[in-house]
Amino acid sequence: MFEKVLIANRGEIALRVIRACKELGIRTLAVYSDADVDSLHVQLADEAICIGAAPSSESYLKIDRIMSAAEVGDVDAIHPGYGFLAENADFAEVVESCKIKFIGPPSHVIQKMGDKDMARACARKAGVPVTPGSDGVVQTDKDAAKVAKKIGYPVMIKAVAGGGGRGMRAAHNETSLIAGFHSARLEAEKAFGTPEVYIEKLIVNPHHIEFQIVADSHGRVVHLGERDCSIQRRNQKVIEECPSPIVNAGLRKKMGNTAVKLARSVGYENTGTIEFLVDEDRRFYFMEMNTRLQVEHTITEEVYGCDLVKEQIRIASGKPLSPHVAHAVPRSHAIQCRINAEDPANNFQASPGRIDFYYAPGGRGVRIDSHAYTGYVVPPYYDSLIGKIITIGATRDSAIDRMRRALDEYYVTGIKTTVPFHAAIMRSGEFREGKYDTGFVERMMSSETFQLVPPRAHLHE
Amino acid sequence: MDLKDIKAIIDLMKKNDLSVFEMEKDGFRLRLQKGPGDQPIVTSTTAPAAATAANGPAATASAESAPTEDIVSPMVGTFFRAASPDAAPFVDVGTKVNEDTVVCIIEAMKVMNEIKAETSGVIAEVVAENSKPVQFGQVLFRVR
Repeated sequence: MFEKVLIANRGEIALRVIRACKELGIRTLAVYSDADVDSLHVQLADEAICIGAAPSSESYLKIDRIMSAAEVGDVDAIHPGYGFLAENADFAEVVESCKIKFIGPPSHVIQKMGDKDMARACARKAGVPVTPGSDGVVQTDKDAAKVAKKIGYPVMIKAVAGGGGRGMRAAHNETSLIAGFHSARLEAEKAFGTPEVYIEKLIVNPHHIEFQIVADSHGRVVHLGERDCSIQRRNQKVIEECPSPIVNAGLRKKMGNTAVKLARSVGYENTGTIEFLVDEDRRFYFMEMNTRLQVEHTITEEVYGCDLVKEQIRIASGKPLSPHVAHAVPRSHAIQCRINAEDPANNFQASPGRIDFYYAPGGRGVRIDSHAYTGYVVPPYYDSLIGKIITIGATRDSAIDRMRRALDEYYVTGIKTTVPFHAAIMRSGEFREGKYDTGFVERMMSSETFQLVPPRAHLHE
Repeated sequence: MDLKDIKAIIDLMKKNDLSVFEMEKDGFRLRLQKGPGDQPIVTSTTAPAAATAANGPAATASAESAPTEDIVSPMVGTFFRAASPDAAPFVDVGTKVNEDTVVCIIEAMKVMNEIKAETSGVIAEVVAENSKPVQFGQVLFRVR
């Protein structure tokens, strides 16, 4: 087992990894930027090294500084968290070449599945259904128009190096296709360093269902069921639940086995997620694979009774899959709400700044993964996620009721949060029925009857 | 902030021999400067309060009465005062430096990086410890 791990991340996920390490008796080294001096992950780690100025490009994305810190700290392994360098094959390769264990899949697997177009090719090869689309990268707008005409509008233009819902443009006709083709290439170049795009059939208002994969270094690959991530705002997930209200045992078996087949075919190791789109007729199509731990790993943990971060560390240290993970069965229902420092009453404008008072809900079946605390200053340089609330209930209804109760208790002053937005969703009939799709949030917010639930007025004088 | 608070700050400055105090909060800005003729202090980035692998000292207000400028580390690595174990240190207290003077080496990933002063003056204090790790922003030297 490792003696010391460097956590190459920040915020709630850095805290998550540090907690897992502490429980395993592993010493932790946090790296941080100037803006994160007072961050909880820095305070709770055994050691901490400042690696640069506030902007991510000056700190959390600086491979050389992170590796220097790893050398100075004499670590055995590095956990990349999610985002930042987690799916950067170059980083994984550098870590491996320094004889430090990268807690994740091998760099060549990250490379293969990180290229969205190559991943589709791997899926096709493994006999996994993929959305109809271009056979690889589309070079010119004329080619784009040809492909789109063949597969039929509407289509989605996607960056091969994209992810996290960025570098995408929908097109409903040839005019918007040509325009979208060029603007997607521009955005892709800027955001991901390469302008290459491919084209997929756009499934209108699909369900986004993803499967959790866990694989050890001894060839054992299992899936831990699905998560429904269809509740999205501008292609960003906001609420996730496990199990999915639209997946029955038969579909779960079919999709799960497909996910395992694909993971196995690319030699996957450690944790990963295979994302599918499911249409109205319950037909599923491979969309992409995330070769890292996800933000919503939490709900799978609660339903399948395991600690995925600890399992990541165990797998990376060479251990076979834990029996309780290999034979995990789902029990009860879990929902996660991502709490962002944004003002839902003001078009979700970012709301960084000092949290004057912070009180998080508790009680039975409530889990909070957050690095926020009273007096913490939310920096403006990074994503706006300040915490995740996860509720567990024996049934889906009780998990929803519990989330509604927990959100009403949540008390944060000094900054605005998206708690009122989530509270409104928990009161939505469509959500309660479980019949929502990726168009749900937009429909709900443009409805005349939509109302944010005002945040708790006070908790103390 | 009222007069009582400002008086308390002035006392604190006197006690710790500080020349300048500056603060900004919610649009209110206050700057207190000791006597005429003092040069402004260049504020240094503070090392974190959390335990660090580098064991860098927290950059508290300087005990010296004359203002100094900090040379801070631009990278993470190991600090060396000389080019090799038996060579003389690049600089010492009292050494005159200009922008291009090499003041130390920071070794990162087996690469020896020569660090330049990027300021001019006289070395007032060697803050970092020889062959000990330093982090980004950590104070290496103070220059007067």
